[in-house]
Amino acid sequence: MIPASILITPLFLSSISIKSYAIPAFSRQYGTSCTTCHLDFPKLNDFGKAFKEAGFKFPKDDETFIKNPPVMLGAPAQKEVWPHSVWPGTIPGMPQIGLRMNNFFQYTTGPLSRFNSLAQAQGNVPQLIPTTDFETGFFSIFTAGNFGGGIAFWADDDISVSGDNSAGALGDGYLKFVDLGRLIKLPTDSLSVRVGQFELDLPFTQARSINISPYDIYSQANIGAINSMVGLQQNVANQFSFADAGKGIEISGGHTYGGYHYSVAVIDQNTSGIDQAANASPFVGSATGSANGGVGFASDSSTKDVYARFAYRFNLERDPESRHAVQAAGTTGPHDHTYLSLGTYYYHGNSQQGLLGVNAGGSQQVLYAREPFYRAGGDFSFNYRTFNLYGLYMFARDNNLLPVDANGVLIPLPLSPASPPPAGFITSVPAKFNGGFVQADYLVLPWIMAIARWDGVNSTADRINGLDLLPGTPYFGPFRSTRNRFTPGIQFLIRPNVKASFEYQIRPQQSVMAVTNPANGATQALNPFRVNTLVFALEFVY
Amino acid sequence: MTRLVVVLLAGAVAIQAANISGKVSAGKGSSVVYVDAIAGKTFPAPTKNYVMDQKQLLFVPHILVVQVGTTVEFLNSDKVAHNIFWPNIGGNKKLTHNLGTWPTGQKRDFKFDNPGVVPLLCNVHPEMSGFVIVSPTPYFAETDADGSFKIADVPAGSYTVVAWHEGSKTQSKPVTVGGDVTVDFALSK
Repeated sequence: MIPASILITPLFLSSISIKSYAIPAFSRQYGTSCTTCHLDFPKLNDFGKAFKEAGFKFPKDDETFIKNPPVMLGAPAQKEVWPHSVWPGTIPGMPQIGLRMNNFFQYTTGPLSRFNSLAQAQGNVPQLIPTTDFETGFFSIFTAGNFGGGIAFWADDDISVSGDNSAGALGDGYLKFVDLGRLIKLPTDSLSVRVGQFELDLPFTQARSINISPYDIYSQANIGAINSMVGLQQNVANQFSFADAGKGIEISGGHTYGGYHYSVAVIDQNTSGIDQAANASPFVGSATGSANGGVGFASDSSTKDVYARFAYRFNLERDPESRHAVQAAGTTGPHDHTYLSLGTYYYHGNSQQGLLGVNAGGSQQVLYAREPFYRAGGDFSFNYRTFNLYGLYMFARDNNLLPVDANGVLIPLPLSPASPPPAGFITSVPAKFNGGFVQADYLVLPWIMAIARWDGVNSTADRINGLDLLPGTPYFGPFRSTRNRFTPGIQFLIRPNVKASFEYQIRPQQSVMAVTNPANGATQALNPFRVNTLVFALEFVY
Repeated sequence: MTRLVVVLLAGAVAIQAANISGKVSAGKGSSVVYVDAIAGKTFPAPTKNYVMDQKQLLFVPHILVVQVGTTVEFLNSDKVAHNIFWPNIGGNKKLTHNLGTWPTGQKRDFKFDNPGVVPLLCNVHPEMSGFVIVSPTPYFAETDADGSFKIADVPAGSYTVVAWHEGSKTQSKPVTVGGDVTVDFALSK
């Protein structure tokens, strides 16, 4: 049975898992302010989107803006000699390195005893969740730029992490071949290719989000219901979430600052949701040399997942020239377009679970339940000057293959050493969830961003798994299948590269206390309470 | 490089005209020295226009000195959108103005009818900074690399000479021109 603590504690632990980047290295290279590309870093303005999609270059005449000229890795005339020479490229004149550090302070409401009870596992000392807490975040290094000829690069890494929710190591690391379609005479910017590890082309980025806390729907994994108190049994343990970076290849085209935009990515299926560094076979050498002490395989599945997205952005200026420009012209200066963007996305994969079972002959073998799953949804974004309203809906469905024994009889979950060995699977009730978010950003002043956001995740399985009256405690949780969160926030750019952010995360009716009714002796739910969190973040990049 | 601008008045008598020269000690970059407004004296507006360019995310030149009444052509030579505005002229916030934005290669004109320092800004690229110094008289000069200046052909008389340097306090000194005269300034922040 999945204890309630697994479901409740992430609400706290995930509350400060921001992982966002602005690139001060570009400020150095071009001698320009962060606000050239960012509204409220790391949120990109229209020019920043164009800069990124051009391969971290100015969309036109990039070389004239560079204050530190690139180093030539071969004279341009070498192109005439090719293929009898290496095609000349460039590297940035100075290392394109940026650094980021953040600190947090959070205040959590609610009586401590409730947290103590909710968080404990039987026989363990209860976890204390303090009312107030200072936390250092992480110190990150990141680099990005262009090698000339449309080859862009990006790599970011948290080199120092702390806090329960932080995950160190590589974030994104990829090469992008911009406008590769020009080689086969496709329309400009209609085909680019990205290879490496990258955040999927999500409708609204998590990696470059201005929010302190991540979008709940992006962090939602699909874990099936297994609870003896409820009849529903689901053998689903799909750790995939949209917030995870994928390893693979992506083709994309169009622009996110006007017109169409699409992307299709093929990435590793990684059901376990963790890096498979330990997946090092002594018999099979991987590309990175697992048999020789390398890092092994990244995936624990032989299948690949596919993610596709299409969106269209309608810039709404009447003047055609302004409408089609990177930024709209205005009487008091260029600014982001007034626009309406509509999009859709679809992710398909095969969640894989390996069980030690038996084959038809009774011999022991590993059985793999490959459960097809998908995530699908739509999104919108409306922008008027410095007001941006946007939202996303997601529906998730995982096939549910329940293990059966050699006689075709269902094996009660969870499996234990006493369970009969699985011999196969039958399809049962799928595990589903849905939800999304709506957010409004308003740049009150160029240095003040006001934010209002609603997150909602509806997962019956989560609720069932949380219906766990821990021994010795009177607490149930969660209360409903839908977890709502309202998060007003405000952010201040103290300097273009220094930001103070505040969020107040309001979670209505998360858990209830179970009491005995003195009149009839029956157990009843009472006193729903909320767990709200105020988070303050202070961060800088340079 | 010293940039010296001399404007001869129509009908002005060269007799007794002299030079005001000297040196301005200030921080990096050039300074501007000009003869302040002369009571009861007006000067015809220049017919020549000057250009302030926006190029490679910079105002070029960084400092442009013009006589009051001069029209300045603001050019965008970059392949990105720019904007030009100034929050005040000579500290007078009522004279704030926003020129808007315009396409690459095009100009937008503005005639400066009020003397004073015009701090130029771009609301798209906040690091961009430039200055138009609008002199109330045609007697002005920009210092060279070592801070030296020469204002030529100033008629005889008593004047107030003003020295300006970016980021420093402006300084004024009385000068009486009968022949060539020297006046030095030491500007501090």
